Amino acid sequence: MRPTAAGVTRALCLVAVLAAVGLLPWLSGNDPALTVLRARSPEQEPTKEALDAVRQDLGLDAGPLSLLGSWASGLVRGDLGTSWVSGTEVLPSVVTGLQVSLGLMGAAFGVAVVLACALVAPVLVRGRGSAGAGAAMLAAVPEFLLATVALLVCGVWLGWLPTSGWAGPEYMVLPALALGVPAGGLLGRLVADALPGVLDERWVELWRGAGVSRRIVAGAALKRVLPPLVPQFGMVAVGLTGGAVAVETVFAVPGIGRTALGAAKSQDLPLLQGAVLALLALGLVTGAAAALLRRRLLGPALREAGLQLPPARPVRTQPAIPLTLFTVLAVAIGWGLSRDPYAVNTAARLTAPSWAHPLGTDGLGRDVLARLGHGAAPTVGTAAAVCLLSLLVGLALGFLPGVAAGASDIANALPPVIVGILVAAAAGPGTGGAALAVALISWPPPAAHAAALVQEVRASAFLTAQRAIGATPWWILTRHVLPSVAAPVARHALLRLPGMALALASLGFLGLGARPPAPEWGLLLDESRAYVERAPWAALAPAAALALLAGLAVSGAAYAQGRRVSRTRKEVSDAVGRVAVGA
Amino acid sequence: MPLLDVRELVVRYGTVTAVDQVSFSLRAGETLALDGPSGCGKSSTAMAVLQLRRPDAGEVRFEGRELTVLTERDLRPIRPRMQPVFQDPYGSLSPRHRIRDAVAEPLKVQGRWTADGPAKVAELLDRVGLDPSHGARYPHELSGGQCQRVGIARALASEPRLLVLDEPVSALDPSVRAGVLNLLAELQDELGLGYLFICHDRAVVRNFAHRVIEMRDGRVISG
Repeated sequence: MRPTAAGVTRALCLVAVLAAVGLLPWLSGNDPALTVLRARSPEQEPTKEALDAVRQDLGLDAGPLSLLGSWASGLVRGDLGTSWVSGTEVLPSVVTGLQVSLGLMGAAFGVAVVLACALVAPVLVRGRGSAGAGAAMLAAVPEFLLATVALLVCGVWLGWLPTSGWAGPEYMVLPALALGVPAGGLLGRLVADALPGVLDERWVELWRGAGVSRRIVAGAALKRVLPPLVPQFGMVAVGLTGGAVAVETVFAVPGIGRTALGAAKSQDLPLLQGAVLALLALGLVTGAAAALLRRRLLGPALREAGLQLPPARPVRTQPAIPLTLFTVLAVAIGWGLSRDPYAVNTAARLTAPSWAHPLGTDGLGRDVLARLGHGAAPTVGTAAAVCLLSLLVGLALGFLPGVAAGASDIANALPPVIVGILVAAAAGPGTGGAALAVALISWPPPAAHAAALVQEVRASAFLTAQRAIGATPWWILTRHVLPSVAAPVARHALLRLPGMALALASLGFLGLGARPPAPEWGLLLDESRAYVERAPWAALAPAAALALLAGLAVSGAAYAQGRRVSRTRKEVSDAVGRVAVGA
Repeated sequence: MPLLDVRELVVRYGTVTAVDQVSFSLRAGETLALDGPSGCGKSSTAMAVLQLRRPDAGEVRFEGRELTVLTERDLRPIRPRMQPVFQDPYGSLSPRHRIRDAVAEPLKVQGRWTADGPAKVAELLDRVGLDPSHGARYPHELSGGQCQRVGIARALASEPRLLVLDEPVSALDPSVRAGVLNLLAELQDELGLGYLFICHDRAVVRNFAHRVIEMRDGRVISG
């Protein structure tokens, strides 16, 4: 097979990611020395000599290439180095962490499959309809939010299940649910959205007319739907590796995700390298397994084009839902903005909601509503900046579809949390780093959209007419191609803004984004966990705000999709009409 | 000297030869029809003559100048003198631009837009039988026949000597066809334009063309 632009870019991006992991100690500059010195001997003064000794010991003096070389050669021998903080071998910690995480992910996958079956079953039984908004909503709720709510409700209020640690099967229930439900929502939605189109195909009618039982028709429809979707199931696996970081942190499960996060926070870079490598390998292996499964299901003879799914039917969109969610959020934010988010009042700590404090106060007696309102502005502002960046990158790459496809494969395989961990380890945690992490992986959808539009415009006859009148490429680009591409792609990027805000919040929640005392939403939720038993409202307010944001993200995205689909439909039917008239 | 002289034109798509050694010539004021079944290479020939798809071999001599050896930059000042009219009346106009902007665009691109530009656009619209008030409309607000007239007006704005008409009436309602064909005939009489007319409707070809070349599988089989 000849290497394609996409294949080459894919390989290059993978190498770049690996190199970035290997170069972490160099990328982070020399400041890990101070952290490591503190961790090893807290009483020692951070003199220049002491720091230099640590640097030499860690090999931070060596140039980037020799660092990368020694890391790569160690990797080949199965040697991941020793932890800077504890001085122990990295490999055993990674292996134990991986075992725990695999157990958790296995359980979560079970939950996901059961949930997906529950979502798909009604569609199969009725032979039409779709899983619709419910599944989309479940898929959009971030794991850290679900984990916190599950901890709050099942663990703390009802006291049914243990909420922290890893000592027996009962410890697995809540983490597996928190990790499995969003994955199940996504799986169920993928299948349930594709089923109605398949059930509309001619053969279904024929089989039914011939008296084939509903059970057999349903089985055949499933068999028809699954193979083209299998590659997307790989995305679910990637989501699991990212979600594992948040879920393991909330429930104090000693898995690979929590190990990676802890290593990033203590700048224990060898341990971080090992853990991130394990997470990436997990994602890639599952992706490869998905690809193999697809080949197995299809047989080698069938090429991609041979088995495409019919286009999903346009979703009937109700602008009322995103508008309502938006209004509720805007009112709460506006109200909160008129109050002081930093005023500490130790006399009124953890008070219940009252007229003076409509959403209660937090552990320092600060007004929760005020912090919610003031937290919105930086979150939305950062998300808007990221959004603009992803739009620009998407537009630029839309003109290079081959490059875009390969790079987006890798970007899609990286959950924001892992990129956030890498960026935080290299640059230290902060809003800028979190924004960079989200920006690095948020450009593929706008880029794909832009590429499709560019192709469509370039193929049109009116563009050929432009060349015929002697227009320069610059004139064609600025007067015709960009105007037809920029507006729809900008709308698309804008509708992804809530999703980006959620990703930023999840990084804040994990301590990889905004720093205290900033009133960032993810950070608010994280801070409130400490006193969740005494003041549940302090946790519920940011949780509710984030849930509203998730709702906005999913309904907004559905709205964009619905519009796009219905418009292309209209154009197609117009064209058909014209041909019919001409004939 | 013929307006257009095509010698042994070859167009390939990968391993498929769409146009194979096609030769013909065309004088000013003459209509030459390319006839043949779909897929025989008619449209590929048209695109290669216009240099919108560069031919793989052969010569295209227009007003005495050999076009195939010219660079894109050198070709740009010559392009306005040979204009295409496409089959799909809607697809050949940008859905985002008003009719008057579409007709004005050649003038702007070619640096001929002056104070009397709007009057020139109105005149062109009037010339192709459209009410100048249609200029404020968008393509989707017009009928297929009206859009095709806009396409002709845009071609005329470049002051061409040759029009390459790629099935200009195939997508139109039969009742509208005659009107567009009559307009094209009038314009030819008046301006002395050469027409390379691509069509697979025998009846239209017989009435409209001075000469006919028949193509099959990329080759000329008669004419």
